[in-house]
Parts: sequence; structure tokens; C-alpha cells
Amino acid sequence: MSEKMKFTYYPGCSSEATGRHLDESTRAVFPELGIEVQDIEDWNCCGASIGHIGGGPLPQLALNARNLANAKKNGNEHVFTSCAACYLNTHGSNLTIREDEKKREQANEALKAGGMDAYEGDLKVHHAMEVLVNFVGMDKIAERATNKLEGLKVAGWVGCQTVRPFAETDDGGNYDTYEEPHFLDDITKACGAEAVDYEPKTNCCGGSVAVMKPEKTLHLMKLLLEEAEKAGADVISTPCPLCQTNLEMYQEAINKKYGTNFNIPVVFPQQLMAVAFGMDPQKDAALHRNTIRAEKLEKMAKK
Amino acid sequence: MTAAIPQPSRTYDLSFARWVRENVKGGDKMNLCMQCGVCAGSCPIGDEMDNGPRKTFMMVRAGMKEEVLSSSTLWNCTSCYRCYVRCPRGIPVTSIIQGLAAVAAKEGYAPKQKVENYYFSKAFWWSAEKFGKTDERLVTMKYFFSFGLSEGIKRALDNLKIALGMVKAGRMHIGLPHTIKNKSQLKAIVAKAKELEQKG
Repeated sequence: MSEKMKFTYYPGCSSEATGRHLDESTRAVFPELGIEVQDIEDWNCCGASIGHIGGGPLPQLALNARNLANAKKNGNEHVFTSCAACYLNTHGSNLTIREDEKKREQANEALKAGGMDAYEGDLKVHHAMEVLVNFVGMDKIAERATNKLEGLKVAGWVGCQTVRPFAETDDGGNYDTYEEPHFLDDITKACGAEAVDYEPKTNCCGGSVAVMKPEKTLHLMKLLLEEAEKAGADVISTPCPLCQTNLEMYQEAINKKYGTNFNIPVVFPQQLMAVAFGMDPQKDAALHRNTIRAEKLEKMAKK
Repeated sequence: MTAAIPQPSRTYDLSFARWVRENVKGGDKMNLCMQCGVCAGSCPIGDEMDNGPRKTFMMVRAGMKEEVLSSSTLWNCTSCYRCYVRCPRGIPVTSIIQGLAAVAAKEGYAPKQKVENYYFSKAFWWSAEKFGKTDERLVTMKYFFSFGLSEGIKRALDNLKIALGMVKAGRMHIGLPHTIKNKSQLKAIVAKAKELEQKG
């Protein structure tokens, strides 16, 4: 890909708070790989995995319809997001609007009440990881990774909604499998790091339940940390902003409850790439935003 | 001796199952369930659920509306979608459980039980609707204090260290909430969607 491909980008709410380092590293890395990033104008919240309870299924669909109708104005065929929940909702709503006539009419009636044009579901919505697999390719990442992360051991933790329930569908780009996805390890390897065997690759951290009631899910996160430690990982890499925040911020609570001594950095694959591309460790890789600092990775960064 | 003819204590009432079929996303596939239990066995926090998805589906079929809508199963889904992709009959299990949770919230089953998921969802939606965006800081505080003042203070203090770490890393927003530009437009869109949802 010599010419840049334009993609419309949906940053999502976490991009302005807990997931700032995901947003910053995404904006740094994607243009390096030939993807031009154009934000959705005046984007709003997708409703995450609980909007259907708080507001109801149709109001949640309407939130996503507004984003999609605004995305349409950019004139690009493709939309992508780095957030698992944003992807789940934007992609899912897009399919609903495309395939369910009654829901499409209702969504468009709601848009009309806001003075917006109708949206027919004709955009294509992707996860950032699917864009890397299907539009960029691992060769391109490896080629751009001039500052190879030699000696860094990475446990690739995919989590849930990045692959479920769309990765094995035609609309989801058939980019990997639900149970044994390998794209994350492929990215690690393209960056010149070592992908260690990591059994709980697609395990759940508890998601929003971990936020509202951590006691219910600390055992899930303990297992994720234990297995990373057993595999000798220096860092855990995950594409999901909620996974990253949960696994990072609850390590102290886990240590307190189980008498363990975990202090494992959790980073995004975009951060690994930014360092491997020889980019700025703060401005591009945003490594200063990890509350458990990835010291070994920081030492590898070009100053 | 001939065994006595059983006298079933419950008459099966299909009206609830029919209603779910027509009103809950994915409900039209629920009749494919063969009760294999892959869904319940795949759930990461199934221990927190009283019934789990497999049993819930059978209870819907049996017309046990009250029991289904007041069940803890609906409030402990982490949205991991493991059950959804593993179901051998292709039933969108997660969507149905979430759809039933939305019905329970609407019908007033959740608030009586101090369900965390319900309060968190309400706090979350408040921010999404008011600002057009989720303010993680305000949502968390609003959620903590929905359990009362003393519990709110306790939870806030428990999380103080995490919050300070986030502030230091620039990952907790300080100052006025981020908002979308066209709030009145979003308000009109959501109001219309709510009206249409009421109509059915």
C-alpha cells in the first residue's frame, strides 16, 4: 500500500480518560502503516455493554445510529475503532440497521427528530486489530519495525469483544478465530519481541462487572496474572481499553486478597508498535500513562 | 399396584415464551435450545448466577416470568460472548440474557434488589444522555453513592489510591465533563427513540 487509505475513526469515551494511551498510540501508529485517521465529527457514547439496561435497546441503537450517520459525512467507506465495546456496539448496530427493516425505520425516525439524514447501514465498521490483519498485514508492520523489541517477552491477551462475537463472521472480516486467535502474537513477533505461550488468551477479566463489583472477578484477573508470570512474560499486551485498565488497577487488590506479589505491566499492541517503530516513548507510545510502568519496554524506546 | 397418575402442580403457560420470542433480540432462536449446557459451562462468573442461561431458557419456556425477571442471572453477565459463539445451535445467548435484563429493568424488577448492574447502568446512561459521553469519574461516583451516603463514602475511599494513580497518569479527567457539541440534537434523538420503544 503506497498510497494512504482513509479510514474514519471512532475514538470512544475511554480515549479521553482511562484509555488515552490507546488513543494516542493508535493515532501515532496507524498513519505509519498507511492508514489515514479521520475522526467522526461530534461523536457520542456507544452505550457500552450496559446502555440497553440504563436507556433501553432502541435508545442505545439511536446513539450508534447518530455516530454512523455522522461517520457517513466523512465520505469514507470504512470506519474503525480501537475500543472493544465501541466496536461491538457500532458494528452490531450497523448490521441491525442494515438487516432489520423495522429497526432501521425506527433509528431513522429518531435521527430525523434530531434533524439528521437517514442512514441505511452501508458503511463498513472494523476493529483496529482487524484493520491491521486485513488491510495492513503483518509484513508491513515487520518492515516498519526498525527498532526490534529483541528479548521482550509478551503475553498476548485478546480478551472478549475484540474477537467475540464477530471475528469469524464475513461482516467481521473473518480475521481470526474465537477460541485461538493468533493476530496478537503475530503483532508481537512483527515487532521483534517474543510471544510466550499464554493459555488464558481469550479469558474474560470481568469487564464492567469488575468495575462495579471487583470482588466478583478478582479470581479471573488473578489467573490472568499467574499464567503470565508462569510464562515468564515481561509485559501483557491487550487490545482492549477496559481489560488494560482492569488488570492494571486491580493488581494491588489481588495482592492484598491472595497474598501475591504481582506487578506486571499491561500495555496495548499499539504501544509496542510505537516503540518498535522507533517513535517517541511519551508522545507516540504514551508509556508514561501506564500506572505500572513497562520499564523494560521503556528502556528499548528510542529517546 | 398401579402407580398413581401424576398431577402436575404447574400448567405450562407459553404466553411469556411467545412474548420473549417477539420482543427480545434473539428470542426467536430460543426454541432451538436443546439444554446442553455449553452456555452455562462457558460462563466466567456462572457461580454468581442462580440459574445460568440454560436453566433460564427452560424457565422462559415454562412461563416462569416472575422467577426469570427477578433472577440474579440477568445481572451478572460480563458480556464476554463466550456462550454466544459456543452455542452449538447458534443461539445468541448473550443477547437474550441482556434483552431479558433490559425488560426486567423496565418492568421494575431490578431496583428492589439493589442490583449493582442496574445502578451502574443508570449512572452510565445518565452521563451518556446528559453529556453525550461517558465521564468515567462522574459515573463511578454517582454509582457509588446510589447505595447511600455512607456506602458511597466508603467505596470512594476504597478506590482513592486507584483514582490518584489515574490522575497522575493523566487518565482521569479533571475539570468539567467532556461533552458533545450538539447536545440538543442528541437529546431529541434519544427522546424519539424512547417514545418509539414505548410504542413497541
